[in-house]
Amino acid sequence: MTTTTSEHRARQEPSPPEQSRLPAVPAWRRRLWPYFLAVPALAVTIFILYPFALSAWYTLLDYAARNTGSVSVVGLSNFQQVLTSATFWTAVRTTLVYAVVTTAVETVLGVGIALLLYRASRIGSVFEKVLILPLMIAPAIAGVLWRLMFNSQFGVLNHVLGLGSFDWLGSSTALFSVILVDVWIFTPFVAILVLAGVRSLPREPFEASAVDGASWFYMFRRLMLPMMWPYILVAVIFRFMDCLKIFDHVYVLTAGGPGTTTTTLQIAAFQNSIVFSNYSLGATYMFLLWALVFITARYLVSVLGKAQRRAAGAED
Amino acid sequence: MSTSAHRGHDHSRRSVLKSLGLAGGGLASIPLLNACGVGTGTGSSGGASAGSAADEVTGAFDWKKASGTTLNVLQTPHPYQQSFQPLLGEFTELTGIEVVPELVPEADYFTRLNTELQGQGGNYDVFMTGAYFIWTYGPPGWMEDLGPWIANESATNADYDFEDIYEGLRKATQWDFQTGSPIGTGGQWAIPWGFETNVIAYNKRLFDERGVRPAETFDELVELATDLTDRSAGRYGIAFRGSKSWATIHPGYMTQYTREGAVDYTSADGELTAAMNSPEAVAFTQKWADLARNAGPANWTSYEYPDCTRDLGNGSAAMVFDADSATYPQNQPGASAEAGNLAWHPGPAGPDGSYATNLWTWSWGMNSASKNKLAAWLFMQWATGKDAMNEAVQQGAFADPVRESVFNDSFVQTLGAFPGYQETFEKVIDSTTIQFTPQQAFFQTTEDWATSLQNIYNGADAQSELDSLADRSTTAVNQG
Repeated sequence: MTTTTSEHRARQEPSPPEQSRLPAVPAWRRRLWPYFLAVPALAVTIFILYPFALSAWYTLLDYAARNTGSVSVVGLSNFQQVLTSATFWTAVRTTLVYAVVTTAVETVLGVGIALLLYRASRIGSVFEKVLILPLMIAPAIAGVLWRLMFNSQFGVLNHVLGLGSFDWLGSSTALFSVILVDVWIFTPFVAILVLAGVRSLPREPFEASAVDGASWFYMFRRLMLPMMWPYILVAVIFRFMDCLKIFDHVYVLTAGGPGTTTTTLQIAAFQNSIVFSNYSLGATYMFLLWALVFITARYLVSVLGKAQRRAAGAED
Repeated sequence: MSTSAHRGHDHSRRSVLKSLGLAGGGLASIPLLNACGVGTGTGSSGGASAGSAADEVTGAFDWKKASGTTLNVLQTPHPYQQSFQPLLGEFTELTGIEVVPELVPEADYFTRLNTELQGQGGNYDVFMTGAYFIWTYGPPGWMEDLGPWIANESATNADYDFEDIYEGLRKATQWDFQTGSPIGTGGQWAIPWGFETNVIAYNKRLFDERGVRPAETFDELVELATDLTDRSAGRYGIAFRGSKSWATIHPGYMTQYTREGAVDYTSADGELTAAMNSPEAVAFTQKWADLARNAGPANWTSYEYPDCTRDLGNGSAAMVFDADSATYPQNQPGASAEAGNLAWHPGPAGPDGSYATNLWTWSWGMNSASKNKLAAWLFMQWATGKDAMNEAVQQGAFADPVRESVFNDSFVQTLGAFPGYQETFEKVIDSTTIQFTPQQAFFQTTEDWATSLQNIYNGADAQSELDSLADRSTTAVNQG
């Protein structure tokens, strides 16, 4: 038996003389190979890290159109100026409210839609295709469309809902309206992501529970939800990160107004950099936004890892 | 041996990477140094332009002097641009210069222009600009002073007649970049091309039906607009801009603000002091916000000029207080439901009879980083010259021409069905100029102003809101 196994191995493993018959790699190619491998890292350095480092450097300068001839290093005074301004903290509050409310609503609706479409049906199949349509519209274009629909004079919403000349973009309604547009565009994204996850769940645990007489709600709460949780969290991470950086349709609809009711961090950064031509102040806003997104992403990714381990049964 | 060879290999690889790193670092430092103003030498004093490229042009004037050049022109879609587009072939025939126009929608136009000029790449030789933008783009040295070009007889046709352009417009595009200096000082940073005065356009059919006439004082305007508002019929009294933008302040608001005797800043010893919280300014601003709430569109805080003119054209708005050139197209046959029913009026006079009017002018500016400055100047000279402007105006969509001779000749002939347009223009033109104090933080302070206006509209106390605005504005304009 031992002899037979050894012979079998000997037949399978290539002999040293066979290895030496492989075409020899020229020495110059062996020398260049590490540099080719370094190209992606170089590309990352140039296209990602370089602009980032440049922006970080700008935060330490007083670089603005009004003093391009005498730019100087001002240390952390831009951070001091931004962090002590009421505009910044209003923008932080607006951004967080927007991100939390939007993500929560989209997650609840998206999961609900995914559960409704879980079982294959002809209507469900049609609905899945229709569902994806808002995602095909650029958010800025969606902003233009909704701006027309929100119009108090001739907008279709007031007409259909019989709201007279209700102001959808007034000081008490604008934040709600821009959230509504985000929900319209991105709920399908959550639904599709969660639906793909639900359809990939193993059937056996559900069949076993059904045999044991478990109720639908029990199965949903104790089986489906824990197994779905990593997919839901992925959707939450994507949406929350995206919402923290929100700009396009909000700017089209309100430009951050009325007053500062819809001024998010990204809009404040744009206004400072582009409209007011104060590049250092704009870069400071962007840097602080990046810090917020980075910290939140790190936390959410750690939660996701824990949820994945739990779903796989590695953790209680 | 083998180990040492391997080490040697490693060492050389590290050296190469280190060299690449240094090279990358060197490249990276270029914009950083530029950002620090090292090596670029940009920035302009705003006064006399020593060593202008115009000085290099000598000999007799000849349209063909830059023949064979390709000129990149940055524009935004606009009736002015559309009126000139068919004429570009004539320019090429006249000069041998090929024009490559690039159109960027107005919403993104100044973002693009700002980025282009800030980068100093010289990708566009000539660009459309407004006078206020000179206050931001001029001081860093991004714009060419056109004074030496106008003065150089070798570069400028003897028939050009710069003085034919209305004085208020010529002054609106001059400034010496010194805080506290008025417009009309320093270099000529752009050449006015088309412009607009901010006056009242109204639905004459409705006015005749109701037996009312345009208001002559601001209080009468408030009363008239309120009377004409009938929300149940989908009609409101008056439209003017309300969005969170500097552009909300400059048309109707700034015009009437000035007529009511208010100013934006007072100047002393090279320092500006914001005066948006003066008694006249507070009283007027409160009335303006009330007018918007009681007789304006329900979603006023998102209203921009296309919304205003559309509502006038479809009959929703009885009046518009905005640019005459923006309302003008709505009266063209077939352009709107109310085409043929619109008329114009100078708007309310101030308590002292003032018809001071703020203007906007689309002008041509030259990129200081352009490598085709002579060709660029020939293009600007042609586009703002009498012949091309007369031809563009005859197409019926170019309002208002900046040249007095063109206005009185071709333009007046196109005004048959525009009641009150010419009379309004003639009434306000001598008092029409930029009513703002030039200053480099214009967009920051004016957008802040619009934000305060929205807050007052939403119920904030006008005095405290404007006190706070004035404090912030005084700090912003005197910085740097």
